[in-house]
Amino acid sequence: MNAHNDGLPEDAAGMNLMLHALIDGELDAAAAMAVERRIAADPGLAAEHARIVALQGVVSSLPKPQVSDALSARIAAMAAAGNAEVLRPRAPTAQAKTSRRGWAARSFGSFDWRAMAASIMISAVLASGATQWAMQRAPDSFAAGVANGHRRGLLATSPVDVVSSDRHTVKPWLDGRLGLSPPAPDMAKDGFALIGGRVEVIGGRPVPALVYRHREHLITLVAEPQNAGAVTEPVDLSEGGFSLVQWSDGAFSYWAISDMERPELDDFAARFRAAAVTG
Amino acid sequence: MLSSNAQADRFGEVVMPHLADALSLARWLTGNATDAEDVVQDACIKAHASIASYAGGNARAWLLTIVRNSCYTWLARNRPRSIVSVGDLGDLAEMSAAHAADVLERGSPEASLIAKADLAALEAAIAALPQPFRETLVLRDINGLAYRDIAAMLGVPIGTVMSRLARARGLLIFDLGRAQ
Repeated sequence: MNAHNDGLPEDAAGMNLMLHALIDGELDAAAAMAVERRIAADPGLAAEHARIVALQGVVSSLPKPQVSDALSARIAAMAAAGNAEVLRPRAPTAQAKTSRRGWAARSFGSFDWRAMAASIMISAVLASGATQWAMQRAPDSFAAGVANGHRRGLLATSPVDVVSSDRHTVKPWLDGRLGLSPPAPDMAKDGFALIGGRVEVIGGRPVPALVYRHREHLITLVAEPQNAGAVTEPVDLSEGGFSLVQWSDGAFSYWAISDMERPELDDFAARFRAAAVTG
Repeated sequence: MLSSNAQADRFGEVVMPHLADALSLARWLTGNATDAEDVVQDACIKAHASIASYAGGNARAWLLTIVRNSCYTWLARNRPRSIVSVGDLGDLAEMSAAHAADVLERGSPEASLIAKADLAALEAAIAALPQPFRETLVLRDINGLAYRDIAAMLGVPIGTVMSRLARARGLLIFDLGRAQ
């Protein structure tokens, strides 16, 4: 076998690992292209590649276990009960007490704890306006999802999964994971530096998110893909201590969120829209 | 310390969206759906107790790490004999060498044969995988975790994740070709 000088392993076992890494989207763009060139030149590799892809296809078609309503009610009730207890450590409410006993006694079947747990979940949801996860079907749930994602980003050790000020790194990274990526202009000269990207899961769907920094503030820009959507001007959806602006360019619906003041976020939106058009 | 409301919200954001993944992992590690529900329930109690220590990052990987630990605790208590030592890498090497020899002898099946595989045969083949291979395959191909998340969860280098994954898939491809 001739040496390829493409930086990839020359042994069959090493190349086999590269095939798997390519299929799993774990290679950067340069390595992925090098592996693809090897596949094109080697029918044995191409056949193994096809086998792995076929296997992944059938594995992903396996039926997934369904989370029963009873199980999610049980778990939500447990969270709510733990919560009630923390609130009143000395005198737990009758409801919290009962649900804890129900939790512990479930295997003895002494009473219908499932119905009990479900009713506790409903009261907990009604009592707490901030229980967004329970309202995923509500119209504004995407905004809530964007806000949650931004908050998680602020809590995380790193707000981004791919760190780069270079859109030529961020875009292929998102492409590799989602098959699409929004425009990612670096606007450092305007005071908005691109620091990277991550994947958000909102409403059960993975969507690309870009992260910009403006002085000490982070801006999360979620780009929800649209099919031939309308072009819309920025709309202010700010609430709960965050500024949130939403607009659309037809291909993506953009949600920019930050703890900056509104005028600054509007400035960001205007500059992003201008830069995204000129590329 | 988080306020209790914030704690409940955080639980809703971090844990609740990933229950289906938690259940999948538990189902493949314990071997059946009923036990999986018990394990996920245990894992959620632990997740709730330690939600304040969730430091951001991949919430699914965080929850699945707890689910995996709960699975092994549960298996140790309920089915002590089913736990195979993970540490014995000599056996793994031997096993995959035997597999490689088999493949050389019989040849590998066509991709089209694999794509048409019977799902029951596939489930049986996954269930029959040695545990370190099975959990790596499930974490990647069913739970969709990245190599680095799996490496962190199992406490092994990424190279080990890659080789276990390649071997797991190789064994499945071999089994599915043979089952036809």
